[in-house]
Amino acid sequence: MTPDGGIRAQGVRRSFGPVHAVADVDLVAAPGRVTALIGPNGSGKTTLLLLLAGLLTPDAGTISVAGADPVTESYAARSRTGWMPDVFGTWDSLTAREVLTTVGAAYRLDAAAAAARAAELLELVHLSDLADQPAHVLSRGQKQRLGMARALVHDPEVLLLDEPASGLDPRSRVDLRVLVRQLAAQGKTVLVSSHVLTELDEMADDAVFISRGRTVATRSVADGDLPREWRLTALEPSALRRWLEESGQAYRSEGDGPAVIVELADDAAAAALLRSAVGAGVDVSSLAPAGGVLEQAYLALEEERR
Amino acid sequence: MSVDMQATAPRPTAPGRGTWSLTWHGLRTVTVLELRQRVRSTRWKTALVVWFLVVGLITLLTTGAFSILADDPYNDEPFGGIVYSIVVGFVLFLGLLVAPTLSSGAINGDRNAGTLATLQVTLLTPAEIVLGKLAASWIAALAFLVASIPFLAWALAGGGVSGLALLTTVLMLAVVLGVVCAIGLGFSALVGKTSGSAVLTYLTVGGITAVLPIVFGLLAPVTTTTEEVRVWDVEAGYSWEETEAPDCEWHTRELGVWHSERTWWLLAPNPFVVVADAQPLTDDPDALLDDGNMLAMLQYGVRYARTGPAAEYDWCSDMVGTDSQSPVEEVVVTDQLVWPWGLGFDLLLGAAGVVVAVNRLKVPTARLPRGTRVA
Repeated sequence: MTPDGGIRAQGVRRSFGPVHAVADVDLVAAPGRVTALIGPNGSGKTTLLLLLAGLLTPDAGTISVAGADPVTESYAARSRTGWMPDVFGTWDSLTAREVLTTVGAAYRLDAAAAAARAAELLELVHLSDLADQPAHVLSRGQKQRLGMARALVHDPEVLLLDEPASGLDPRSRVDLRVLVRQLAAQGKTVLVSSHVLTELDEMADDAVFISRGRTVATRSVADGDLPREWRLTALEPSALRRWLEESGQAYRSEGDGPAVIVELADDAAAAALLRSAVGAGVDVSSLAPAGGVLEQAYLALEEERR
Repeated sequence: MSVDMQATAPRPTAPGRGTWSLTWHGLRTVTVLELRQRVRSTRWKTALVVWFLVVGLITLLTTGAFSILADDPYNDEPFGGIVYSIVVGFVLFLGLLVAPTLSSGAINGDRNAGTLATLQVTLLTPAEIVLGKLAASWIAALAFLVASIPFLAWALAGGGVSGLALLTTVLMLAVVLGVVCAIGLGFSALVGKTSGSAVLTYLTVGGITAVLPIVFGLLAPVTTTTEEVRVWDVEAGYSWEETEAPDCEWHTRELGVWHSERTWWLLAPNPFVVVADAQPLTDDPDALLDDGNMLAMLQYGVRYARTGPAAEYDWCSDMVGTDSQSPVEEVVVTDQLVWPWGLGFDLLLGAAGVVVAVNRLKVPTARLPRGTRVA
C-alpha cells in the first residue's frame, strides 16, 4: 500500500569497518517536491546518497527508489535514478557533448536519441558554446553543470544531487534553483544535499536533518507557518527599542549594530508587527527573515546537541 | 491471475539485465569511451612511435650484423631465421612490458578519478564495463603488435622462415598480450592503487615467464632417478692406449636419468614457449643450429623436455667414427603440442582476472577496497 514513487528509506545503516557512516536514517522524499538533506561535514550525507543511488548495499534497513529496491532490483532502480556525485570526475579527454552521448549510450539510448538528448541538455545547462571543448578545460562550475546534465540524460524519476551548488557562480545558482524547481514541477523527486542553507531555503519544500549518521529532524520548509527569527531595523534605533519594550515584544540586539532580532510565530505575526509599529509612528526601514528557516533549524539542532 | 498481477503492478519489477549480461551496444560504448580517452592522450601516441623506432632499430642492427656474415662466401645459410626470432622475441618482451601498463590502471585509475561510479550507476552491466575495458586495452596492445609487423615481414624476407610461422607467431603474440591485459584488469579491480596493480601484474607475468622455468630447472635433481639403462658402449676392458678402434657392445649401467617429461608443463605457460611452440615443427632438427632460429630451438628444447629420456644411450658410435652403424635409435622429439597446455593455463589466468573484475564491479557493492571512495 506504499505509494510507488519517491524515495523511502527506513532504518538504513551502513558502516565501513568501525566507522558508522550511516547509523540509522529514515527518509521520505515525495514526488513533485524538493527535499533538502542537511547535516554537518561527515554526517553521512554522501554515503546515504550512495546507498540511494544503488552503489552501496545497506547493512540494514530498506530502501525504495521510484518503487524499486536498489539492492534486489538494481537494474530497475538505476534506470529511474539520476545521481550527481559531489566530486565530479570527468573523462577529461572527451568533449562535453561526448560525455553526454557516452552516458546516453550507457543508458541504452540509440545514437540519434543520445545526440539529441545531449544537445538539449547542453542548452539547458548553458554549455552549448563549450559543447565541443574537452571536458578538462571546463571550470569547476561548468563541470558541475555538466554533471547535472549527466544525471538527467535518461530523464530519471528520482534525482539525487550531492552538493550541486558548490563551485557555481551566482548566475548558475539561480539557474540551478530554477531548473530544480522545474524538475519538481514535472513530478520528479529531487533530493539535494548542500551546505549552502540559504540556497536550499529557496529551493526545498522539505528538509531532512542528519547528524552522525542519524535522522535528527524532518521539517517542512515551504509552509510559512514556522516560528523563525526576523531582523528589524528603524531609522531611529532607540525609538524602535522603546516601542518594542512598551508593546511587550521580546527582542535581542544583534551585536553592536542598530538592528534587533525578534522571534515571530509565522508570517502573519510579522505582518501584524510591522503594521502596529508603523501605526505607532516608528520609522521601520526593514523587516526581513534573519537567515533562512533551514539555517535557524540547523543551528537550533546544533545547540540541542551540545 | 498473472494478468491481474500485471494490471495492478504499475511497472515491471524484473531485475533486468544480470551481472554477466552482455550486449554489443554496451560493450562498444565502453570500448569507444576507453579508446577515446587513451588515444587522445599524447603519451600513448608517443609510446607507439618510440616502439616503432626501437623495434625498427633492433631489426636493422640484427639484419646488419647477420648480413655481414651472409656476405661471407663460405656461409650461404639463410639468416632470416635468426633475425626473425630475435625480432619476435624482442617484440614479445616489449609487449610483456607494455601490456600491463595498458590495463592495470583501467579500473582503480577510474575509481581514483571518480569516473568509475559514473559508469556503474548507468544501465551498463559489470561484464560490459570489464570486457569493454579489456577490449580497449587489448586493441591498444594490438596496435603495438601491428606496428611491429613490417619488421617481422622484413625478417621473413631474409629466408628460412615460412609464412605460416609468421601467421601463428602473430596470432599467439596477440592472444598472449590479451591474456596479460586481462590479468592486469583483474588486479586493477582488486587493488586500490594503480602502482600496486601494475606491480602485481608484472610479478604474475614474471612468474610465468621466469620463475616457472627456474623451478623447472631446480626440480631437475628431484626428477632425476637412478635406473638401469642399456648403453651401447665400448667393449669391456678396452684400453684407451690401443691404436685400434674399440668395438661397441651393449652394457647395462646404473645411471641418473632426468625425467623432464614429468615437469615439462612448468615451461608451457611461458609466453615465449607458447609463441615458439605454436609454429610448425621443424622437419630437420640438425638444421636448427645452422639456421640460428632461436624460436625453433626453443620449440625443439621444450618438445625434447616433454619427450623425456631415451630408453637406450649411445656412448660408442662417436668414438669409432661416424661410418659405423649404431643400433641405438635416435631420439625423435614428440609431436605432441606443448602450447595448448601453456596457452590454456594462461587463458585461465586471464579469465580469472575478468571474473574477479566483474565481481568487484557489481553494484550495489558490499565492500570497498581499502582507502577508496566509491565515487
